[in-house]
Amino acid sequence: MDEYSTLGKPIERYRFNELVTGKALFTNDIKLPGMLTGKLLYAAHPCAEIIRLDVSRAKKLPGVVAVITHEDVPGENSYFYLSGDQPLFASDAVHYQGDILAAVAAEDENTAMAALELIVVEYNPIHGVFDMREAIKPESEKVWKNRDNLLDHLTISLGDIKDGFKQADVIIENTYYTGRAEPAPLETEGAVAQIEIDGSIVVYSSTQAPNKDRIQIARALGISENQVRVITPFIGGGFGSKIEAHVQIHAALLAQATGKPVKIIRSREEAIRSHVKRHPFYLECRTGARRDGTITAVEVKAYADTGPYINLGPEVVGVAVMNSSGPYYTPNALLEGFTVMTNNPIGGAMRGFGGPQAAFAYETQMDLLAETLKMDPLEIRLKNGLGTGMQVPTGAKIRQGDGMRACLEEAARLIEWDKRKEKESKPAAHLRRGWGLAAHVFTLAYGRKIPDNAGVVLELAGDGTLSLRTGAADIGQGLHTALAQLASESLGIEVSQVRVISPDTEKTLDSGATNASRSVIISGQAAVQAAREIKKTLLITASEETGLPIEVLNLKNGWLTAEGERINMSVKDLANKSRRLNRSISAIGYYAVEYPEPLPPNSYPHAPNIYTFGAQAAQVLVDIETGQVMIEKLVAVHDAGLIVNPFGALGQIEGGAAMGIGYALMEEIHSEKGQILTDSLDTYLLPTAKDIPPMEVKILEFPEPYTPFGVKGIGEVGILPTAPAITNAIHDATGISINCIPMTAERVLKSLAALKDDQIN
Amino acid sequence: MTFPIINCTINSKSIQVCVDPSRTLMDVLRTELGLTGVKEGCGQGDCGACVVIMNQRAVNSCLVLVGQIEDCEILTVEGLAQQGRLHPLQQKFAEKWAFQCGFCTPGMLMSAYALLIQNPDPSEQEIREAIAGNLCRCTNYHKVVEAVQETSQYLMANQKTIGVWYG
Repeated sequence: MDEYSTLGKPIERYRFNELVTGKALFTNDIKLPGMLTGKLLYAAHPCAEIIRLDVSRAKKLPGVVAVITHEDVPGENSYFYLSGDQPLFASDAVHYQGDILAAVAAEDENTAMAALELIVVEYNPIHGVFDMREAIKPESEKVWKNRDNLLDHLTISLGDIKDGFKQADVIIENTYYTGRAEPAPLETEGAVAQIEIDGSIVVYSSTQAPNKDRIQIARALGISENQVRVITPFIGGGFGSKIEAHVQIHAALLAQATGKPVKIIRSREEAIRSHVKRHPFYLECRTGARRDGTITAVEVKAYADTGPYINLGPEVVGVAVMNSSGPYYTPNALLEGFTVMTNNPIGGAMRGFGGPQAAFAYETQMDLLAETLKMDPLEIRLKNGLGTGMQVPTGAKIRQGDGMRACLEEAARLIEWDKRKEKESKPAAHLRRGWGLAAHVFTLAYGRKIPDNAGVVLELAGDGTLSLRTGAADIGQGLHTALAQLASESLGIEVSQVRVISPDTEKTLDSGATNASRSVIISGQAAVQAAREIKKTLLITASEETGLPIEVLNLKNGWLTAEGERINMSVKDLANKSRRLNRSISAIGYYAVEYPEPLPPNSYPHAPNIYTFGAQAAQVLVDIETGQVMIEKLVAVHDAGLIVNPFGALGQIEGGAAMGIGYALMEEIHSEKGQILTDSLDTYLLPTAKDIPPMEVKILEFPEPYTPFGVKGIGEVGILPTAPAITNAIHDATGISINCIPMTAERVLKSLAALKDDQIN
Repeated sequence: MTFPIINCTINSKSIQVCVDPSRTLMDVLRTELGLTGVKEGCGQGDCGACVVIMNQRAVNSCLVLVGQIEDCEILTVEGLAQQGRLHPLQQKFAEKWAFQCGFCTPGMLMSAYALLIQNPDPSEQEIREAIAGNLCRCTNYHKVVEAVQETSQYLMANQKTIGVWYG
């Protein structure tokens, strides 16, 4: 096969110039003539009845153009990414701190803020439900009168769990807790909306799901979807927090109410209070194994606090549960998920989507199992590791699983796993050094029986340049660069000849959301198909022009080739000739994920089938006097199928692992009866340049069948094994038992205090 | 209400602004002067997205009141490129993909720029220290650190400085 022209090459980031010069327009940088400032009134209590809501004084404030509440929504008063249970404006009660009661549009921000203060709300605070394990007891107060606090109970099983534990010589049993984490994209949520002369509406939206925004805006405004045009400016990160709509519907309602452009940008505090969090989980785990380390049974009960609205709660729990036996062959599994409603912040999608919570539990279990059996943590993982063709608890069989062992072995090599015992474990009286390993399994795309598709429009111009219109938002990861590479490679032109048109629902096709590590696979395949269709047309023309059989012809870097030799005929020539022959040189590519393999009976019906593996290893120093953990080195080795762009691909792993360091050691949303105490970036701490250790990141390519050029998604996987790699290293260093993340210095010290002096390593 | 006229230099141009002196520098740069490369990530001095250079030092422009900039020299990300040519620091950021979403990039560039004014040959640790107030949620900062190191090496090798690089 020919070497690729652009795939796998470090092509520059599409539109980098705007990003490094400050010219890139993000939502907050958009300024329209006569634009008003929109502000939202958020709930003062996490759980209360609304006795009275009076906006009359706010409306009279000079400079205020409109104040709207639930009474002013012409269509449906709810969000609707999936479930439609969360109101846009609360009417009779508030259920969490992020509920919105009213929206103000005013001539400037100060006036809008002053107007919020003039809105009178009388609350009757109710006690509320804040502890997920209490919430599922029959005597618990209910979040919703007509609904059980247990929103969803999922069971995934394989084999015979009782028999599996009977075969076990040892059983490891533990309960784990993972803290509530905050996505914290640097750009908070925002939108600008404007009514057009014809009554249609344009909404600039910082979103991961432009076409879902369109549906939701139309539904709330009571207009048809083709009257709504959603455009994505540059987007300053998402990590899950911009999947469900945020303020774009409110901005659209205010624009409709005032006839003027309206901008709403959330403050950092508003963003942290209202958008989704990584669910806190309790995971009750039992792992049974034979004396030789072979796993015979895994039982997991995973409880997740999803807050008061459905959002993507059951879906996140589903991903956690289906992967909760880890990247290990488990012949007997009983995996249960409990999605629990409370009055805490909403749990939803955040990079890894339930995966990091599960990984912390299953990888701590593996180390405890190894310790109990006096086996090496690497050896026990390799012994049980999943591989190609093996069945997982959902019932699906792994198509391509060679990455599991390969990633583990490479991570171990890079951290010098076999030499660790020769190194100094007590470099000073107060310091302890340790090493930890963790692997993961993850599934990409949505899974069976869930619509999962994308459309790309390609238009070749007479000068040989290509327009690529995608409905998939580039939220900062470089998706559009990757799509340009896939399209240009498939068509046979230079990547510099591609212009990517960002999501604009009036020009681009619905491609679902940028989530589930799906976009390079699905939008990528749509782009590849469209490019191949255009290429076919050009080659038919070329065959007629040259008299050569089509089979020997190809296009490469903008030129025609015959049996690999360049012919003096360009894509530009062929584009023009094809057009003169009334042949279309544009194409729509549409792709929906394929699941050709049938599932056996009693399988999990939504079982996904694109599997990805990876392993990380950490070397840490723990200060047993202060509890502080210093990561000396972190290595990350992931299976990514074919790499489209090494900068983009490695960047995803690097960034994911950095987020994983935060998740392991420092990041946690603290709340007290639903009131978030860490609602700023100086109380919710993100890793800084000083917190990130030297990292070695490597990607191993195991091409996936049924994806364009064998690519796999890698947007989420970088975070999956980071926390357990670090916590296993802390355990190795100190001997403390760890059943909770983040392991802040405070928790490390507490755990050390629980050990007797002679138990500390 | 009349406001005092404030004289300052912004991106090498003499500017007079006549606004409420209690407004933040970030707000005035963005809304009055159209310098929207200055980003707001928190408005409280926690994230560094709004960092600009004020009299040769990096400041969070959300924590500076515009009344404080009388006679000051301000440099924002918009002032880095010269005659359509990217500043070497910008060039290195682009070459290395030292950003993903790019929202933190303007502030990151300005913190790095301020460091290289004070210290043309910083160590890795000094670079990390200098950008520790600039949060990036997308990357692991390594490419940023490398971009700053390579810029420093390039400038020294070509006998240029961070401020005088063009030509």
